[in-house]
Amino acid sequence: MSTAAQRFLQDAAIKSADLLHREVIRRGMDSYDAAHLKGRARIKDWEAARQRCREIKREAINHLDRYLLQFEEKVIARGGHVFWAANSEEACTYVKNLATRLGVRTVVKSKSMVTEEIRLSPALEKAGIKVWETDLGEFIVQLRDEPPYHIVTPAMHLNRSQIAQLFREKLDPAIDSDDPVDLMAVARRKLREAFFAAEMGISGANFLVADAGVVAISTNEGNGRLCTSVPPIHVVVTGIEKVIPRLEDLAVLWPVLATSGTGQGITTYSTLIGGPRRAGETDGPEEFHVVLVDNGRSALLADAEQREVLHCIRCGACLNICPVFRHVGGHTYGTTYPGPIGSVLTPHLNGIKEFKHLSFASSLCGACSSVCPVKIDLHHHLLQNRRNATEAGATKSSERAMFRIWRAAMGSPSLYALGGWTVRKSLRLLYALGLAETFLDPMRVWNRYRSSMPLPSESFRAKWRKNRAASSS
Amino acid sequence: MPQAQAEAQTKETPSENSSRDRILQQIRAGLRTVVPEPPALASDRVIFEPVANPLERFQQECVLNLMECALTADRAASARQLSQVLQSLPEGEIFVQDDPSLRQLIEVAAPGRPIRWSSQGAPAEASQATITLADALIAQTGSILVTAGCGGRGASVIAPCHIVYATVDQLVPDLTTALSRASRDGILDRNSFACVISGSSRTADIEKILVQGAHGPRRLVVILQRES
Repeated sequence: MSTAAQRFLQDAAIKSADLLHREVIRRGMDSYDAAHLKGRARIKDWEAARQRCREIKREAINHLDRYLLQFEEKVIARGGHVFWAANSEEACTYVKNLATRLGVRTVVKSKSMVTEEIRLSPALEKAGIKVWETDLGEFIVQLRDEPPYHIVTPAMHLNRSQIAQLFREKLDPAIDSDDPVDLMAVARRKLREAFFAAEMGISGANFLVADAGVVAISTNEGNGRLCTSVPPIHVVVTGIEKVIPRLEDLAVLWPVLATSGTGQGITTYSTLIGGPRRAGETDGPEEFHVVLVDNGRSALLADAEQREVLHCIRCGACLNICPVFRHVGGHTYGTTYPGPIGSVLTPHLNGIKEFKHLSFASSLCGACSSVCPVKIDLHHHLLQNRRNATEAGATKSSERAMFRIWRAAMGSPSLYALGGWTVRKSLRLLYALGLAETFLDPMRVWNRYRSSMPLPSESFRAKWRKNRAASSS
Repeated sequence: MPQAQAEAQTKETPSENSSRDRILQQIRAGLRTVVPEPPALASDRVIFEPVANPLERFQQECVLNLMECALTADRAASARQLSQVLQSLPEGEIFVQDDPSLRQLIEVAAPGRPIRWSSQGAPAEASQATITLADALIAQTGSILVTAGCGGRGASVIAPCHIVYATVDQLVPDLTTALSRASRDGILDRNSFACVISGSSRTADIEKILVQGAHGPRRLVVILQRES
């Protein structure tokens, strides 16, 4: 059984060489880049906006207990239910039991990365409940039995003809167009049936507003609206870090989230929901439940360096700008949250031993930190993860042995000179015998993809001495 | 429910908030770690360009949001405008928020159309259009703010066309004003739902190509009347 790190390396090699994938991602990212820059230009002081968003989130996270309780009190007062789940299992069990108790057979879901994180859909399907993803991108990856490729645009790795082919296979063999307008129409017709048949709608939340006691959900397609309006039960599944202090905070968070996510000035439907249908209201669910998922988040509060990772609003900007993401693609990460934020967060949620390699798979160029709308210092957190992994002993014994030898050599000039001489001589012999790039070649990782490095005729120390002697004479 | 099943369920279900205290304790313990505060934002920084002319800005933003905004002089002009929009739609039932001002308007603009009033329940899936009022219009983003009081939740999303009847004096300059007012007036205590809607439903999930009309309306029409 291969490790997550081995799978990452394999998939990264395959994806970087997949020309169709490269083309689809390049086009998607080009159009994002253009929209993102145009959107940013519409905000008078973008840096001030980022700073403001960071302050809002810091205020919320630094008083997380108080704001969560304020939110909870308001929701309960309106007849809603709030369930606190320590981990995935508790959250899934709560939703599954609720569904079973209320006789739910069909669930419609709007996009939610937390439900992916806790693997809610498989848990419900195991209980015999049919789950429909209703965001177009999520619907496409669900039909392919794949996880989302990207946290904002889940199907950005596919082009229209691949999607048309998928719809022909899974929905209707008579589909003869690959125009996105027609494909959307097919999905709309299919999912309309689901919306009106479902007994439960499940959504995520972009923000939990403490003072108003409402969840804020941003969607463009309107699927989130239907999920939370039509079925008789609405369940919100979200992370505890989504809370913000005041309703007015959305006046800057909504535009900044939309700008960073898609380049829009504001998401088409910026919805606020505070409870079940009230007496006298025309429609809306009779039951309203909010599941607050911890799943490792509260442990991050004690991390003085990385507490701010909880500020993340999941806009996807760091994925889009990341040169690593653009080459290896979202699925290669093998995590719910890909890209820089995923590489920082996953070791905290799923263990540093298994996921430390993600923090090493970065050039630390800092592009992610430069675009983050809440100014998370992502690339420094990657560096800290590397240090933490090493300190936790999550390194290979061979690596530790190499560093011990290196340290000894660095501490003794004669030992260092001897080592250099030995390596130069033995490599020269190895290459003379034509053994470059074979398993005997310690430089094979480098030499495999490049012309082999020329070996110096003498050591740096010898050259240094010669040059000094020449210049002083 | 048979007893065995009921027992199995109680055993399986964590009692309503069994983890609540543990999570809160862990949060409080974590927050005892002191994290240095970076300097605060200077108070004179202006994030969004102030909106000088709300009506003009609203109309500009409507164009960007791909919504239709028709400015009318008075109620009679609004009725003519509404009638034109309805004539462009297929035959069939329309859903209207049950409000005296809309009843008057419909009488003139849609004689003979089958109407379902919000007092009779949620809009049918096959509705050709929905007609509602708005709580406010937001110039900065070209948005309408609707609440559950505007004909319910489905009224702004179920039909392929959503028509909003509003007056110019409902315009507020920006999101901050709209949200502070919503907060002050307790709009979310009186309504289980509110939504800032900025255009018709859309997606760009296939090759990042914009498709108007996803799961919600393809058209969002605002009939904006000068006279209140």
